[in-house]
Amino acid sequence: MSTATETATAGAPATTPAERIRLFIQPVLVLIVAAAVVFWAFDRDLTATQKENINAGNVATLIWQHLLITAAVTAIVVLVGVPLGVLVTRPGAKALRPLFIGIANVGQAAPAIGLLVLLFLLTARTGFWIGVAPIALYSLLPVLSSTILGIDQVDRSLMDAGLGQGMSRVALLARVELPLAVPYILAGLRTSLVLAVGTATLSFLVNAGGLGILIDTGYKLQDNVTLILGSVLAVCLALLMDWLGGLAEFYVGPKGLR
Amino acid sequence: MSPRRAVAVLAALTLLLTACGLGSGSTVPLQVGPGSIKPTPGLEGVKITVGSKEYTEQVILGYILEYTLAAAGADVRDLTGIVGSRSTRGAQLSGQVDVAYEFTGNAWINYLGHEKPIGDTRKQFEAVRDEDLARNGMVWLEPGPMDDTYALAASKRTVERTGVRTLSEYAALVQRDPAAARTCVDTEFRARQDGFPGMAAAYGFDPARAVTPILQVGIIYQATADGTQCDFGEVFTTDGRIAALDLAVLTDDKQFFAHYNPSVTMKQSFFDAHPEIAEVTAPVTAALTNDVVIELNKQVDVEGRDPSVVARDWMVSRGFVTAR
Repeated sequence: MSTATETATAGAPATTPAERIRLFIQPVLVLIVAAAVVFWAFDRDLTATQKENINAGNVATLIWQHLLITAAVTAIVVLVGVPLGVLVTRPGAKALRPLFIGIANVGQAAPAIGLLVLLFLLTARTGFWIGVAPIALYSLLPVLSSTILGIDQVDRSLMDAGLGQGMSRVALLARVELPLAVPYILAGLRTSLVLAVGTATLSFLVNAGGLGILIDTGYKLQDNVTLILGSVLAVCLALLMDWLGGLAEFYVGPKGLR
Repeated sequence: MSPRRAVAVLAALTLLLTACGLGSGSTVPLQVGPGSIKPTPGLEGVKITVGSKEYTEQVILGYILEYTLAAAGADVRDLTGIVGSRSTRGAQLSGQVDVAYEFTGNAWINYLGHEKPIGDTRKQFEAVRDEDLARNGMVWLEPGPMDDTYALAASKRTVERTGVRTLSEYAALVQRDPAAARTCVDTEFRARQDGFPGMAAAYGFDPARAVTPILQVGIIYQATADGTQCDFGEVFTTDGRIAALDLAVLTDDKQFFAHYNPSVTMKQSFFDAHPEIAEVTAPVTAALTNDVVIELNKQVDVEGRDPSVVARDWMVSRGFVTAR
């Protein structure tokens, strides 16, 4: 019993004092850095070419597009990764595990830019979902493998206790296995989110928009202001997502394990 | 010095010498003999290093220049495929590369720092030639007719449906019915003043009215040919995919887009030592039209042939050189 509690606690890092302080400081720092880079970029003599991108409306749109892509990727990753992880840990379906882990591995190993172009060539379509789907596949692995890990680490004796109280398999999953796996799943989701924000800078290649437009324009035109603005804002978004993931780990994890 | 030690020193020296040889480029990939280009007294045995940027068209132009000079009797070194405009230009300014084909508009905007191009081909060339000579001591020979510049293209079906063949007609369509003129662009074209915003100003339409999906450059050709995602697309006028995907290029009837005509460029000191280069390369440069270059690009990019062979075969077919 005590071993199980210790293992589960290790999966919920938000309990250390240092982590609590970080949860408070991180968003403040991110907002300061983001405000500073925006001020730095807007407060200079911009050429007509730079103004095509560096204007309030455009930058706000790109940040919004980037957030939407990230939100959609998160939703897909949770809705696909967690059920899939649960499925392959069921006693009857364990044989499927190498298959899905393999697919998720391929998704993460394949270059995201290749997946994007490939999906365009296969569907002859562009737009939001063509930009989202490859990034979801790319970010799936951490959630899938942490769900599997989270459920696998649940102590046999807890399961036996549940069964002994007359719980059905479904009740056991819902009341014992999943709650104990939540810290692991959230840690995986946090990794997935940060990956998704970074990779979403490639979504613009298939007309899905996002901060990648600033980065690519700046890179191609050797325009460091646009390049730095796009990169730093993307980094800030990634840190913000990491922070949200940390918050979720703190508040969504089972109270008894906090 | 003991014999063994002498051998070691000799071996080290040989290594050093071969290393130097490698440093100045490799030999020309294919041997050619004289055709209409004859051995030229001032060039025979002269060591000339030819450079080019890394993309297909520049590599083909680099090989064409190499075969031209080799047929004239020069000892040509091959430095084609330098990555990026700036590196190629740097190699030329520092004397690692003696001659290279450069595009007028590229030098005007990227090297000489102008934001707006000059509309007239001839005036653009003269402006580049004069300014680059005065500021950097670079000589520009007479340019060729090919013009590798931005353009809008559409599938033949879209042209028939909309009746748009020129950019003026395109501008009218954008004003009348923006939804029928979805135009795929890449990030660079969308921002550049010699790209979409400038074009909108020159042709008098509101760029904010136009529907402009942003795609990766390579995807735009296929998307334009499909016609499902965009009706028009930004292209480069000499890209082989224009021929392969049967796209129609809209006429730039107000001559807005910058002109990118190829010209053989070299440092003043090199030109003064070997002025014959101008005469030898002139007929070849003059034969470089858009149709020729689209076809050569297509053979490499679409059919997967080797650029050095494509360049050689074209020169042989024109009688400039003979194959060996």
